[in-house]
Amino acid sequence: MSATPSEVNPVRAFVAQVWGSIFRHGLPTTDKVAARTALTNFFLHIHPVRVKKSAIRVSYTLCLGGLSFFLFIILTITGLFLMFYYIPSVDQAYQNIKDLQFVATFGLVIRNMHRWAAHGMVITVWLHMARVFYQGAYKPPREFNWAIGTLLLLTTLLLSFSGYLLPWDQLAVWAITVGTNMAKYAPIAGPYTRYLLIGGRNVAQGALLRFYVLHVIALPLIGFLLMVVHFWRVRKDGFTGGL
Amino acid sequence: MALNPYDTPRGKLRMRAESTRRQFLLLMGTIAGLGSLVFGGFKLLGFLFPAATSEAPPQFKTTFTVDDLTGGIDPTTKKARIGANVAGVEGRVNVVLDDAGIYAVYLVCTHLGCTPNYTTGVVAGSGKTDADADRRGVRTQSEQKPNGWACPCHGSRYYIDSTNFYGPAPRPMDWVDISIAPDNHFVVDRSSIVVYRQPGDITPPQWRLDPATGQNNGKTIGV
Repeated sequence: MSATPSEVNPVRAFVAQVWGSIFRHGLPTTDKVAARTALTNFFLHIHPVRVKKSAIRVSYTLCLGGLSFFLFIILTITGLFLMFYYIPSVDQAYQNIKDLQFVATFGLVIRNMHRWAAHGMVITVWLHMARVFYQGAYKPPREFNWAIGTLLLLTTLLLSFSGYLLPWDQLAVWAITVGTNMAKYAPIAGPYTRYLLIGGRNVAQGALLRFYVLHVIALPLIGFLLMVVHFWRVRKDGFTGGL
Repeated sequence: MALNPYDTPRGKLRMRAESTRRQFLLLMGTIAGLGSLVFGGFKLLGFLFPAATSEAPPQFKTTFTVDDLTGGIDPTTKKARIGANVAGVEGRVNVVLDDAGIYAVYLVCTHLGCTPNYTTGVVAGSGKTDADADRRGVRTQSEQKPNGWACPCHGSRYYIDSTNFYGPAPRPMDWVDISIAPDNHFVVDRSSIVVYRQPGDITPPQWRLDPATGQNNGKTIGV
């Protein structure tokens, strides 16, 4: 039996229905459809429908906030990979890191990507803050976003600090000993803060587990929520010039 | 024309009473909600402060015996046969023997808590002389060494009586209680400090454990 042009092909109709249920419009060939594409797609709605050419010019400001976010994505993905091998136990953690480097395929690359992206993110976040400060982009109406930004800086630094302990080598243990002893110098709350962080009197199993939970769940989640608000406000407050 | 009951003087009064009552209830509810959040949250913090931890207990027995450290006690002089010496680090504690007796230094740097290493050349490059280090501890009969501890983290240094003399350390390291068990091993109790000196206190502590009698002289400082 041969199909005539007037008949509807059921397979095609099904594919068209599925496609149409996901994408509510045709290819964005005109400005109008392009605008609708950005508005109706979850992934594209983060991007503004209309962008001034001057706003996306990569100038001496180098889009440092975007770079920080890019590094955060790299860190999330590589971190997820590392979690397949890493066990936050004082008996196993160091050996797991060695296994990652010498046993797991691409483990060395992924671990180093995580490490260098982490260093890079601290640098780009600092530079981003400096850029915003020197350009006066913290002034009204952007003062709320500046406050969110300072919290994001703090989250970035805490992520860097908590990740430092996880390889459980000499450098890690003593760096966290020194760091948490600095927290102890704070009046009244100091000793409690230290105990809260390391779950004991010395940097031991309790500290490793607490830092692990902070590093892989608590702080990334806080950072993500703050980023959502941060980007939303960037959209609402508009751009000053280059990114 | 029907009259809106709330337009009458009584109606207006009633409306005001109702709205202030709602405001009052809202205010009370908000205070109750926030209050329970604050107090409940504060108590929930207790979850992160367990009643017991699985850390190593503060009291421990050394693997070496009294004789290992002292070379045995000379029965006539009642003194140790070995001169001033320092046993290996165990549980972050160094057991020190000098001519006056035995004491235990808890090796927690008073700067930021790293473990200082025992060294026999503690004054090198610090501006202090070997003679300064030799005056520390009681070493009339023993071999004199400019020994002490140096912290690997930020370079603080301590004489053999745990007095700080170089680097960022604000005060001397603490001495902890040490006694002799029936099986002739030392028992160190890190939770019991016997010498706690304030910043700037450089007086050599007199507390000692006598290896011959197994008793300490009770000359504690700052506890």
